[in-house]
Amino acid sequence: MSDQTQFYLSTLLIYLFIDIIGVLGLNLQFGVAGIINFAYIVFVAVGAYTAAVLSLGPDYPGNFQHYVFGANLPFPLPIVAAGVASGLLSLVVGVISLRRLRSDYQAMVMLVLSLIATLVATNATGLVNGPAGLATVPQPLYDWLGLAPLDYQWAYAGWCAVLTAVIFLFVRGITNSPLGRSLRAMRDNDRAAAALGKNVTAMRLLIFVVGGAIAGISGAVFVEFIQAWSPGSWLYPETFVFLAAILVGGAANNWGVMLGTLLVPVGFLEATRFLPQVFYNGFIEAMQWVCVGLLILVFLWFRPGGLIPERAGRYKPRAEAPSGTSE
Amino acid sequence: MTEQDAPILSVRDVQRDFGGVKAVDGATFNAQRGRITGLIGPNGAGKSTLMGIVAGAIKPMAGTVSFEGRDITGQPPHRIARHGLIRTFQLSAEFAKLTVLENLMVAAPGQKGESLLGAELGPLYWGRSEASLVRTARDVLDRFAMAPKENELAGNLSGGQKRLLEIMRALMAKPKMLLLDEPFAGVNPTLAREIERYLLDLRAEGLSMIMVEHELAVVERICDPVVVMAQGKVISEGSMRDVSARKEVLDAYLVG
Repeated sequence: MSDQTQFYLSTLLIYLFIDIIGVLGLNLQFGVAGIINFAYIVFVAVGAYTAAVLSLGPDYPGNFQHYVFGANLPFPLPIVAAGVASGLLSLVVGVISLRRLRSDYQAMVMLVLSLIATLVATNATGLVNGPAGLATVPQPLYDWLGLAPLDYQWAYAGWCAVLTAVIFLFVRGITNSPLGRSLRAMRDNDRAAAALGKNVTAMRLLIFVVGGAIAGISGAVFVEFIQAWSPGSWLYPETFVFLAAILVGGAANNWGVMLGTLLVPVGFLEATRFLPQVFYNGFIEAMQWVCVGLLILVFLWFRPGGLIPERAGRYKPRAEAPSGTSE
Repeated sequence: MTEQDAPILSVRDVQRDFGGVKAVDGATFNAQRGRITGLIGPNGAGKSTLMGIVAGAIKPMAGTVSFEGRDITGQPPHRIARHGLIRTFQLSAEFAKLTVLENLMVAAPGQKGESLLGAELGPLYWGRSEASLVRTARDVLDRFAMAPKENELAGNLSGGQKRLLEIMRALMAKPKMLLLDEPFAGVNPTLAREIERYLLDLRAEGLSMIMVEHELAVVERICDPVVVMAQGKVISEGSMRDVSARKEVLDAYLVG
């Protein structure tokens, strides 16, 4: 395999793992707990920004880019901090929007939040350096490892694989537990869940924060890989790509949404890059969004459960046949 | 008055407006232990609003609700449920994508693996209590002859089975009192008879209930006393035979 192919494949693999982490977090919120978080990508971006500035070192006069909270923390602290920052922001947003509003209004609040965040990040240039964003974010342990660029790529892919496995196990710990069952009950009917003694506000906030932290971690690992951050890379449609992955793969099924990630953000969006440019430059990119929208519609109509639908809990069968098995 | 004679639920002068319309206008009544108190009245009398207030889903503007001598006025629904006051809904409120067994299990209070930490500790931590929960839930399923439906998604049940599921689920929540909002609505006569028998069995075991119901024949058979509401007020209380003879009750039903 040529170096170029290896470079391409390792990059694709890294994107796959990072997207899987992000999708697992959103699936926890949307698929399992029923929170419609159209601002998910904001929490990814905040995590990415946090990790970037905490790796870049303190800002100094005459620096070509400006940012706040600059520091030079060793790996993996910027990633941990990214999770904490996005989790805290989720807590603030959640306390404001999840407590009182109905879920359809919550969804609108989230979409608006997403738009506001982009506008603020782009226009308040003193805050996060405006549309130019940040560059030259150092890759973690690059000097310390002393690997050739290609070997570093594979090492990074390996690190992403490990992190993805950890996040997967953590998420599965929730979804396979009594907590996961209560979350699904809340999603199906929150009034009934509350009437049975479930504190639905607390559960929603918990999952909003946990999902937000996972979003932040995925953003951190991404920014440390591509070494650059800009508000334009995390616009609201990106959330819909994640949602498409969830709906195609199978909401509330961890394996399903991972398959969905392989198919939608990685497979579909990558494959279309190789199509020849037609009509005008950027036509294919524009059509990608149309196709993502169509994909969501098609699955909602024809296969609402996704490719690998949600699996109800399974329990050890009874020792003896249940009474009254006449049916 | 001894502990046993004290009402389990006491509603005093409860009021609630919706945009100037007085849905509940100073309603007062008591419910006694071990009885099925019927709550009847014409459409728009404020029965469901009053049930919503008792269960914490709707905040009253004035008045008090106390349960077992404790003031629960204005508490959020989950806290009221944890006191043992469990409601069922007028419209089916099943957890559609959970199996029947899961619908029952989820209702159990104080589960070990329900916190984030507990969940992450895994089956080693919560497995044993989960297994005993499965047994409890299956006992309830057996009792209501729903065992064959154990692995069915609740969303696929018939309307009547969903009503039954709701009662079973409420029982899993360790209730001291059930608030049943039209438990016979849309249920075929055979199943309605069965539900009626179950409710009588539960009463015999000492469970207290309040039942909102339009089917007066059922109310007459199993409810004692009966509380009649009209235009947001309690207008009569007593046995069905007594209240149905009273002029104000007849007027309320005739006027609507």
